[in-house]
Amino acid sequence: MAVTTEEGVTGKPVTPFTPDYKPPTSSLARRRGRAGLWFVMPWIVGFFLWYAIPMIASLWFSFTDFNLVNNQPTQFIGLDNWQKLFSDPMVRQSTLVTLKFGLIALPVAIIFPMALAYLLVNKSLRARETFRALFFMPSIIPFVAAVLIFGGIMNGQIGWVNRMLAVIGITGPNWFQDQTWVYPSLVFIGLWGVGNAMIIFIASMNSVPSSLYDAARIDGASEWRMFRHVTLPVISPIIFYNLIIALIGIFNYFLVPFVLNNGSGDPGGATLFYALYFFRVGFRLFDMGYAATLAWALFVVAVGITGLLFWSAKYWVHYEFER
Amino acid sequence: MTATLEREDTKPQAPPVTAAHRKRKGGWLVTGFTGLILFVFLLPLGYMLVTSVKSEQMINRVGGPILPNSPASFEFEGKQLDIYTVPMPDGSELELGLLQPGRQVSTFVDPSNPEAGAIEWEGNWRLLSPADELDPQWQNYTRAWDLMDFPILLRNTLAIAGIGTIGAVVSSILVAYGLARFRVPFGRSIMVILVATIVLPRFVTLVPTYAVFARIGWVGTWLPLIVPHFFANAFNVFLLRQYFLTIPKELDEAATIDGAGPMRTLVSVILPQMKAALVAVSLFHFYFAWNDFFEPMIYLTTRPDLQPISVGLRAFNTLYDSQPNLIQSGSMLALIIPVVVFLFAQRVFLQGIDLSGVQK
Amino acid sequence: MTRWKSLVLFVALMMVVAACGGDSTTETTTTEDPGTDETTTTTTDDGGSSDGERVQIRWFIGIGAGGQPEQRAAQEAVRDAFNESQDEIELVLEIVDNDVAYDTLATQIASGNAPDIIGPVGRDGSNSFAGLYLDIEPLINASGVSTDQWAGAAVENQRESDGTLVGLPFASFPSALFYNKDLFDEAGLPYPPAEYGPDGVSVYGEGTEYEGTWDFDKVAEIAQILAVDANGVDGTDPAFDSENTTQWGFIWQWTDRLFQQGSFWGAGYPVADDGTADIPQEWEDEWHWYQDAVWDTGFAPSQTEIDGALGGNAFQSGNVAMAGTHLWYTCCIRDDENGIVGDFWDIGAMPSNNGTVTTNMHADTFRILATTEHPQEAFDTMYYLLTDAALELLTAYGAAPADPNLTDAFLASLDERYPQGVNWDVILDSAAYADSPSHETALPGWDAYKLTLDDLQSSLLSDPNLDLDAAIATAESNLTTIFQENAE
Repeated sequence: MAVTTEEGVTGKPVTPFTPDYKPPTSSLARRRGRAGLWFVMPWIVGFFLWYAIPMIASLWFSFTDFNLVNNQPTQFIGLDNWQKLFSDPMVRQSTLVTLKFGLIALPVAIIFPMALAYLLVNKSLRARETFRALFFMPSIIPFVAAVLIFGGIMNGQIGWVNRMLAVIGITGPNWFQDQTWVYPSLVFIGLWGVGNAMIIFIASMNSVPSSLYDAARIDGASEWRMFRHVTLPVISPIIFYNLIIALIGIFNYFLVPFVLNNGSGDPGGATLFYALYFFRVGFRLFDMGYAATLAWALFVVAVGITGLLFWSAKYWVHYEFER
Repeated sequence: MTATLEREDTKPQAPPVTAAHRKRKGGWLVTGFTGLILFVFLLPLGYMLVTSVKSEQMINRVGGPILPNSPASFEFEGKQLDIYTVPMPDGSELELGLLQPGRQVSTFVDPSNPEAGAIEWEGNWRLLSPADELDPQWQNYTRAWDLMDFPILLRNTLAIAGIGTIGAVVSSILVAYGLARFRVPFGRSIMVILVATIVLPRFVTLVPTYAVFARIGWVGTWLPLIVPHFFANAFNVFLLRQYFLTIPKELDEAATIDGAGPMRTLVSVILPQMKAALVAVSLFHFYFAWNDFFEPMIYLTTRPDLQPISVGLRAFNTLYDSQPNLIQSGSMLALIIPVVVFLFAQRVFLQGIDLSGVQK
Repeated sequence: MTRWKSLVLFVALMMVVAACGGDSTTETTTTEDPGTDETTTTTTDDGGSSDGERVQIRWFIGIGAGGQPEQRAAQEAVRDAFNESQDEIELVLEIVDNDVAYDTLATQIASGNAPDIIGPVGRDGSNSFAGLYLDIEPLINASGVSTDQWAGAAVENQRESDGTLVGLPFASFPSALFYNKDLFDEAGLPYPPAEYGPDGVSVYGEGTEYEGTWDFDKVAEIAQILAVDANGVDGTDPAFDSENTTQWGFIWQWTDRLFQQGSFWGAGYPVADDGTADIPQEWEDEWHWYQDAVWDTGFAPSQTEIDGALGGNAFQSGNVAMAGTHLWYTCCIRDDENGIVGDFWDIGAMPSNNGTVTTNMHADTFRILATTEHPQEAFDTMYYLLTDAALELLTAYGAAPADPNLTDAFLASLDERYPQGVNWDVILDSAAYADSPSHETALPGWDAYKLTLDDLQSSLLSDPNLDLDAAIATAESNLTTIFQENAE
């Protein structure tokens, strides 16, 4: 699963609920508090330059008909773009596409690396380090190359996948040209990106105190019950973290369908993800005002869903194992 | 969340005989199963390797061979004839060159006896198997190298990734240091906003940023890709901050007593303690920048001579999509460096990810 | 702190400036050129500023033809000859790859750095930037140059709907039916007609068992015979396995966008008088015919097959028997790099539909952008390209000259490239049946229009169960919105 955001993944789960830093209490440090601001200044400036101001400008653009290419002066058009947003069939379609994909991709993005990690922490596994490295390796392959490779191997006519299926008598679908099968196909491509999530899962599974397993074993718990009642709760912060990362990836999902079909959304619009439609509006039709509207709508939805997720966290994410 | 280095090797051992026996037998099962999954997982790489050395005609042939073969052929009267294995009416099989295909009757020529002239053969020539021989086209790599202008792409990627990483790491160190060591006003809010920027879909800021860059003429240069990184980014800051917190403050205080200012303390005292984390952060950012696609694409569409590998490979694909063998060799070129570097440095890399979860 | 503050203010100011739009033509582009080596894909010819008096005219190439190596050579030769022949103007070339040309030009326009001349470009490409071109009629009148060498209708063809004349005739790419002689031989079929009959309708296979009017039904009939699967079974046999086709009967080669292929069945204009979308009936009929060809009878390839076995250049692969396409396709049947000499084909007459033959015409020429700072010099340069340099350029582009005086020389050059003896006459005759109105006539929201039809086409080529009528209805309603939104 293409769970990585553009930054790649680091280990710490990022929630506002985790204990924040404690201010140093020595008077020396307190006096230097202001000095600290200077150190943080690059980020503050950067925040305004690349986040705050563009976001406001973007909101402003959404109320205009700003077009980067034609010569006409930009005019304020009020809520026209927003009205268009709600009546645009392409918005509906691209949201559906993103949703359809997300419904399969999100669970896979969590379950697959978790299952792999579970395999790799198994006590009786040989050559553990080799396996770890080899399973991780595809995630550092440039994604563009991965898309081209998968596009080739999964071609409906001459690709290996269908040829292997034909050997056992199954007629494989036209993976990337079939409007239903294209979503699992995209998920397959994403599987190469699970390396990071897998490593983090491994680390967290290893940190489950063995005393818990011992206690469960004494109580006669089976392998599955141990997993469900010991492992899962303890690693739930990591699951939460990967869930957020995967969600971000789905909102931003652009590279794979773009490289695959040059942004056309083939087959028949089935891969016209929301981000692709944004790109088409802003960088093919150069209608920057409407593109800004699309972006802001995405932002609002993303914030909403993320907020929901954070709120839900208190019901299933257990932090008591953190130190 | 605590993550320490692997501990399963230090877990208490179960009673020797039965568990060890179980472990040995179970070991092969688990290992075998995992190996199978790994095989399927990496199969596309095999596809890439094999296809990259095929010739063009062989790829397009439906039902063509898996291995990079080419049909054997021989020259007859100035034309190249493909050789097929033809079953003759007397039960034998001859290797003959196809001269003139036809629906019901085709004519062949015997390469070992061309003077005998054309041999007529009744049957469906499409059902014949061509006589193939192994013929890997290694020159596909040199062709892809030249057509993609790979050295330029490499240079560009190194430059963008390298400069960006330096900027990102330096600025992130400064910011993380400030947040970790000083009681910064609004520190808590800053942390929250930091998290928020990670969650933000990048498209929201894209339109005005692009518009400004277009108006000031930075589109078509490396500047939009490098300059923003000099203002620190949330991931690196988080990571480094975590690590800063693990360094005892006594070191700081000792340095201050010795008369060192905050900057001096940072550079001379603290950074040397953090080598592993610095390497990890630099590696992460470098890999991200190496594989970054979207922003380099929109800012550099118009300058193929400045594009990094990811964008160049995609452009190569749109230009040469009729030659999948070249595309696969191009992909191979694109991934060989990260993979090789990774295989040599995997320890460092994976430990870095482990480390990123370390917190005291 | 003040340094940061001013930087922030500066950037905020830039944002405001950008937001308020306006054409900042005074801003210069600062491009960072890190290395010394430039790749062959983008050449910005500097030509030196030693002659300080010369006016620089930038010629932007890539939106249409012009990117192939031999075309570059011809263009450079033209540039050198022009610069030597006079000393007021210095012509500078900017050659960009076709797939980035649109973006590049858009970016240049956006940053106020637009070129002077663009081309060669067809109407499709130039429609994307409609409204940005210079009206050259005043310049023609002022400089007193002649436009008699071109047919009056051809000149009028270059007039926009608002009355401005934005170009003069240069190249024409008529269309006809290319066919693979080897595949016809193997199947034992007669070749398609070599010339048009009266009214354009011709007869196929006279004197053979296949004799009949050469229309698209006849095409379907013989295309079925020419479609063969991996077991050698052809399309007329019920045992034909369309999942395993190795040879196809027919394809629209690189002119298969729905408004292009539809127009071969009858010219039309999809915008009704009231501004709503109304797709011509002939186009819809053709789309149905093609859908059957791909999914029912299977003699045309689906998208998967185009990507897979046909490798993106179907006719050249030798696996498709007939291809409806334009004269520009002669660029790409020969692939010397891969040793494809391309001597297996010839050209025949385009089939008719309901008694009418329509052969789509692509008319390429040059345009001057209205933002040019030197309109007179730009026009003089363009006129040179259209007249003195025409033959050399047209040969390189593989384009038939719009000026009838140049036709013979042009044909000679084509024969050099394809010495097997190709029937060029029939494709030149096709010009008489050009589509009018042109399938590339500008309409409101040209780019959005193309994207909508592209989506429909993609469904057609990939979904075996597509309800085409329903999809057409949806597309029409979307197009109505687009046309009305973009109508000025």
